[in-house]
Amino acid sequence: MAAQLKRGESTAIESLYDRYGRLAFGLAFRILNERGAAEDVVQDAFVSVWRNAAGFDARRGSLRNWLLSIVRNRAIDRLRGSARVRSEIDLADAGQRAEVPDVWEAVALDLERKQIQEGFRELPDPQRQTLELAYFGGYTHVEIASRMQVPLGTVKSRMRIGLEKMRTFLTARGVMA
Amino acid sequence: MSCAEAEDLLGAYALEALPEEEARRVEEHLRSCAEHRAAAAELRRTSALLPLTVEEGDPSPEVRARIIEAVKATPAPRESVGRPVQSAREPRGTVAPIRRIPTLRAWAARSSRLAVAAAVALALGIGGLIGYQLGHGSSPQVAYTFQGDPTAAPGAEGRLVYFKDRKQAVVAATGLPRLASGQVYEMWLIKGGVPVDKGISASSSGDIGAQLPGDLSQFQQFAITIEPGEQQLPTTKPILVGNLQSG
Repeated sequence: MAAQLKRGESTAIESLYDRYGRLAFGLAFRILNERGAAEDVVQDAFVSVWRNAAGFDARRGSLRNWLLSIVRNRAIDRLRGSARVRSEIDLADAGQRAEVPDVWEAVALDLERKQIQEGFRELPDPQRQTLELAYFGGYTHVEIASRMQVPLGTVKSRMRIGLEKMRTFLTARGVMA
Repeated sequence: MSCAEAEDLLGAYALEALPEEEARRVEEHLRSCAEHRAAAAELRRTSALLPLTVEEGDPSPEVRARIIEAVKATPAPRESVGRPVQSAREPRGTVAPIRRIPTLRAWAARSSRLAVAAAVALALGIGGLIGYQLGHGSSPQVAYTFQGDPTAAPGAEGRLVYFKDRKQAVVAATGLPRLASGQVYEMWLIKGGVPVDKGISASSSGDIGAQLPGDLSQFQQFAITIEPGEQQLPTTKPILVGNLQSG
């Protein structure tokens, strides 16, 4: 699909939408909690993928993760009212996988999602809530410390430890390399 | 920024939860510190999976139409000229050679121990837990159970017992939907989302038993599909699927 996109085949965007549109919308809605705004973000994100497809480099991460990071960033910008600094670090991927038949992709995605959801659920509440506020709320560590009424150092370590626990969980299950 | 300061901020950095100035200082440090660059990349790879924790939703059908319209009105992307073209890697799944798996009966003559285990696997039947351990502690056998898809194969059930020391598994499934003429059950092991063909069975009873030779530890899921003859990659959705990790 990435190759089709890079060749400028617009049907690739339709395939991408059919595969990830519901997930992209779920993500935008989770952040914005408003259907219309979430739909606008999804539309912008897919068009942005189309415009920037020539620059897509699979070595830096999967098409799916790239799309979802655009959705997340646009939704957070909309929620917080300004563009934020984006990490320069590659999204080189974990979920990188070979092309599989369309019919299977949904199944594989579903299995992967279940494990990621389980890994996230298994985090202790304070760590999970901290990751949620940062990722889906777009709050900074200082803002989170204030909202949760805990020292800043606690927030920093919850972020680090929460992510590391998830990575350990997902590595043990083969979701992450 | 010192290494100690950066160390402290890597989680927040990976979550993009740093104010602009602080994020820039971390990035400056990462450019000169390979160790923290690697740690940040690991954390970032993990945070990139957080979108997959959300539930999917249903946008209105107009969204799809609007995207297609907008895409058609936007010039097609072009590979940049004059610079090395970044090629999107399109790795292909490794597909095991097609082969017919020995039926349980034929194979049982050669290995009664495994045959008994397969029969036990069948008999253990209902409602087992994924990762259920046969025996205790260091037992070299692990059993997994799988439930059929509630729509496509309600009531179907599978059981897979893996003998770690022999690197062989036996699988048994019952209550599978009956096959139409020309159809087969096809078994798959899935690695990194890529299904690898593990052979077919054309049992008419809806019950199958088979052996799967090889090291299972590199696979994450097992599945059965119904196919119009043996395929190299599945063409239909699984009627039964489940994870092979015991957690």
